[in-house]
Amino acid sequence: MRRALLWLATAVAAAGVVLWWATGPQPLEEDDLSGLQPGDAARSERIFVAGGCASCHARPDADGEAALELAGGRALKTAFGTFVAPNISPHPEDGIGDWSELDFANAMLRGISPEGEHYYPAFPYTSYARMEPQDVADLFAYLRTLPPVEGRPEGHSLSFPFTLRRGIGLWKLLYLDPEPVVALGEDALPEVLRGRYLVEGPGHCGECHTPRDWLGGPDLDRWLAGGPAPEGNGTVPNITPSSEGIGSWSEGDIAYFLESGFTPDFDSVGGAMVAVQKNMAHLPAEDREAIAAYLKVVEEVE
Amino acid sequence: MKKIAISFSFLLFSAAAVTAADDPIAVRQALMQANAASAGAASAMLKGEMDYNPVVAKAAIATFHSTAEAMGDFFPEGSNVGETRAAPAIWENPDAFRETLAKFRTDAAAAVEASGRDGPADLEAFRLAVMPVLSNCSACHENFRLEDD
Repeated sequence: MRRALLWLATAVAAAGVVLWWATGPQPLEEDDLSGLQPGDAARSERIFVAGGCASCHARPDADGEAALELAGGRALKTAFGTFVAPNISPHPEDGIGDWSELDFANAMLRGISPEGEHYYPAFPYTSYARMEPQDVADLFAYLRTLPPVEGRPEGHSLSFPFTLRRGIGLWKLLYLDPEPVVALGEDALPEVLRGRYLVEGPGHCGECHTPRDWLGGPDLDRWLAGGPAPEGNGTVPNITPSSEGIGSWSEGDIAYFLESGFTPDFDSVGGAMVAVQKNMAHLPAEDREAIAAYLKVVEEVE
Repeated sequence: MKKIAISFSFLLFSAAAVTAADDPIAVRQALMQANAASAGAASAMLKGEMDYNPVVAKAAIATFHSTAEAMGDFFPEGSNVGETRAAPAIWENPDAFRETLAKFRTDAAAAVEASGRDGPADLEAFRLAVMPVLSNCSACHENFRLEDD
């Protein structure tokens, strides 16, 4: 009996060690960024806009110049608790002013803080992980040109067991995958590829438009098929080209919606999509057309 | 073109007709449909899908103006219940809602002013007059409409 208990204890301990090891952060190394050009801030404004960084990291309701002060503070109320967007202005103590490019790449592509902790996926690194490292480097250069802002918003307020950050390591094993969601053949048009990149990567459209399973991971079988709003106020629409989705919209309709905020029936954009659409309106027309082209080739889901 | 202008008046007329039924949800939805139809006409011209016509432009602006003036009266307490996507924020945060509606009214009145007796002279004049009005659609729907489709 005693021997059996000993075995059991050893097995549990071994499993614990394996689990601890498997859930640890797996950061990028300096080498992973070699070969990149120095970050280009001018080029990156487009990625900053497409990524909607300011929609969460600017102060709530900030507009115009104030939307470039990334003081944080917007609260995201979810089933797991309330997440609060942090200060990502280049302030050395309260923001990301003392980060290296590698720190930033680890945050964006691996969801890991400079201290080596997992970030909660409310920060949509599951999408950003699909970004080109060069775009991440450019974005970092751009963020450093923005005004530093003092002060930190209050932290997340989550309930147990979501307070255990280590558990996110397990979650990442299940859901963090830098591969594209939609496989496209060799003959895919450049426009569609660009659209896939914008939608699946920086644009992080799937974070709201794809339903989540009980662990909060994206249900990729229902990619972009809509579902309950993450903040619990209503429904996020299906944007696949099905009859339940936007199958009746032409590519021109989709691009026009992103530009103007009007659907083909001249209903207007609303809710959380308003901020997104405003960003999309600032992109070059070719980016909106690329997004439209991609949305016509994703799998139809009813 | 005359047909389009006439259909605008019909939209307004139908809005007025529902008032009699004393159903604020139905009335405000009719007003919204009038807005949508006007946005459709405006966009068709702005996109170049339809030739610019000052009469149609003026009709669209006049429709926005009248719906803007009327809209606020059709969100009484208790009309959050029923077949409606009106958000609870309308009644929880009435000052913000009033402010948002006031901006719609101001922008629409300015557009009426700009369109003059014969409607905006050309497409560019129309664009300048109507774009600020159109921005009110999403500004209000951002916080005051529930996203259910």
